[in-house]
Amino acid sequence: MANRTIPRILQTPAVILLLIWMLVPLSLTLFYSFIRYVLNSTVRPEWMTPSFSNWRGFGNYEFVLNSKDFWFAVKNSIFIVTSILTLTVVLGVLIAVLINRSFPGRGIVRVLLISPFFVMPAVNAVLWINMLLDPVLGLQGIAVNNINTLIGGLQDAPIVGWFFNMWPVFEPISFRATQTSSIAVIMMVTWQWTPFAVLIFMTSLQSEDQQQKEAAILDGASRWSQFRFLTLPHLGRPMAIVVMIQAIFHLSLYAEIEIVSRGNGNKNLPYLIGEFANNNIGAASATGIFAVILANIVAIFLLRMVGKTLME
Amino acid sequence: MAIVAQTSRFSKIAWPVVAWIVGLIFFFPIFYMVMTSFKTDADAVNPEFLFSFTPTLENYANMTDNYDYWRFATNSIITSVFATLFALVVGVPCAYSMAFSPTRSTKDILMWMLSTKMLPAAAVLYPMTFLTKNVLGVFDTHFLVIVVLCLINLPIVVWMLFTYFKDIPKDIIEAGQMDGLNTWGEIKEILIPLAWGGIVSTALLTFIFCWNEAYWTVRLTTIDAATLSKLIEGNRAPEGLFFGRLSAVSTAAVGPIIVLGWFCQKQLVQGLTFGAVK
Repeated sequence: MANRTIPRILQTPAVILLLIWMLVPLSLTLFYSFIRYVLNSTVRPEWMTPSFSNWRGFGNYEFVLNSKDFWFAVKNSIFIVTSILTLTVVLGVLIAVLINRSFPGRGIVRVLLISPFFVMPAVNAVLWINMLLDPVLGLQGIAVNNINTLIGGLQDAPIVGWFFNMWPVFEPISFRATQTSSIAVIMMVTWQWTPFAVLIFMTSLQSEDQQQKEAAILDGASRWSQFRFLTLPHLGRPMAIVVMIQAIFHLSLYAEIEIVSRGNGNKNLPYLIGEFANNNIGAASATGIFAVILANIVAIFLLRMVGKTLME
Repeated sequence: MAIVAQTSRFSKIAWPVVAWIVGLIFFFPIFYMVMTSFKTDADAVNPEFLFSFTPTLENYANMTDNYDYWRFATNSIITSVFATLFALVVGVPCAYSMAFSPTRSTKDILMWMLSTKMLPAAAVLYPMTFLTKNVLGVFDTHFLVIVVLCLINLPIVVWMLFTYFKDIPKDIIEAGQMDGLNTWGEIKEILIPLAWGGIVSTALLTFIFCWNEAYWTVRLTTIDAATLSKLIEGNRAPEGLFFGRLSAVSTAAVGPIIVLGWFCQKQLVQGLTFGAVK
């Protein structure tokens, strides 16, 4: 392997392609974020073409930082991402431990569990918001209706009737309102990504030290303390990886928000960028740069972790 | 033996039951969608016919009339297949040289490739729209979707192939050199046959990611190159009138991919964690 030119040549296409893909659009975004640039303006038509003479300095950044929408979108992004992360990690660990031992039909249960991960995001969102969560026609509406009928019937029953008379009539929740649509998004994405966490934790559990576990059992350690002091520490690293990979994916969550929340005021950062990009390109670009910074903070940690195992 | 002794009869029965229930709960939304796809639009919103209904294939038969399904499906297939192929054509040589003649910068290049994957797509939304529409004139073409899908998956392709290639003993490749094979010969005669399993699973996973991609395929297409993601996104609010037909087209959009996904569960872990979880 003395010849070093051929390897270089083989890597060149991939490196150059990715370099163009990364640098060209990003430098344009950076440029636009420092100029006044709008798509439609009858008052200042000169702002409609990007040029250095429209230089605005940090004006776009100031504009974005002072807009209520931006802070709402940031808070919402963080709320959505952290909720999904907590739910998927907790559910993921529990389910992984649950199916980590052999039982009849384990293969089938695995297949059932992993399926949601392969559903395309657009279908996921349409399925949940319409067929499952719709307050009237969806499964939620039907279920709430049935519960109300059931309670209504029980109110006339002897002996226990007084108890059910105290129950209120349940109202189905509309998940298309501003506040609730985040919850809907959290539900559907958690459904989709819990399988991913399960899969990774299960892979990791298979490499757990069985001898250590048997020793602990011989020492009379309870199920709980085995889980707490052996399994959980063993899962620490995979958990960190699950958290970071998901954070990167979910910070750029788009299709779900677009489908569930269009027009109801709920938004996250990518959605806000899309809104700005309808006219105010300067603001859209400045928001984009903020999104890049946010993603990079997560990415640095992830890259460090992945890098450690890279050349083993 | 110790483990067996600790397992009580109760947990022997309860454990599988709970596991099955959890599995069924997670699968239920998909089951519900598939079931609804066999109902007429009227039955689909009628609670009376929630679980007992007369199944009909009408929604599938009318899929082309209602949604022009096959046009979108063809676009999805074309773009995903070619994007996967191109990613492999660029990725295999790259991963080959990284795995068998690593330099000091190999690790940095790999990390940098990963970092491109972490850029939020929305940040470059307008420049991409502008460049493709006004400068290059490729907006809403298959070519554009293929290139974009190929590029967003290239880092994962290189990573997965790299982790597979790393496990092949270097001696075998060197033996090939002794026999007078050139680089192309080494890749064709030795590497590809040896790593065939790895290459296939990389391809399958990339295909799935391409098929499910829902940002650029929605934002950079209108009609001509619109994929299934775009089709479903465009029918986001049917107001309950068309649950039956919407379920049918959704099932047709995700069904093949779910089945494909069952076959590459194992590779999924490696592909998504970049080999960091074993």
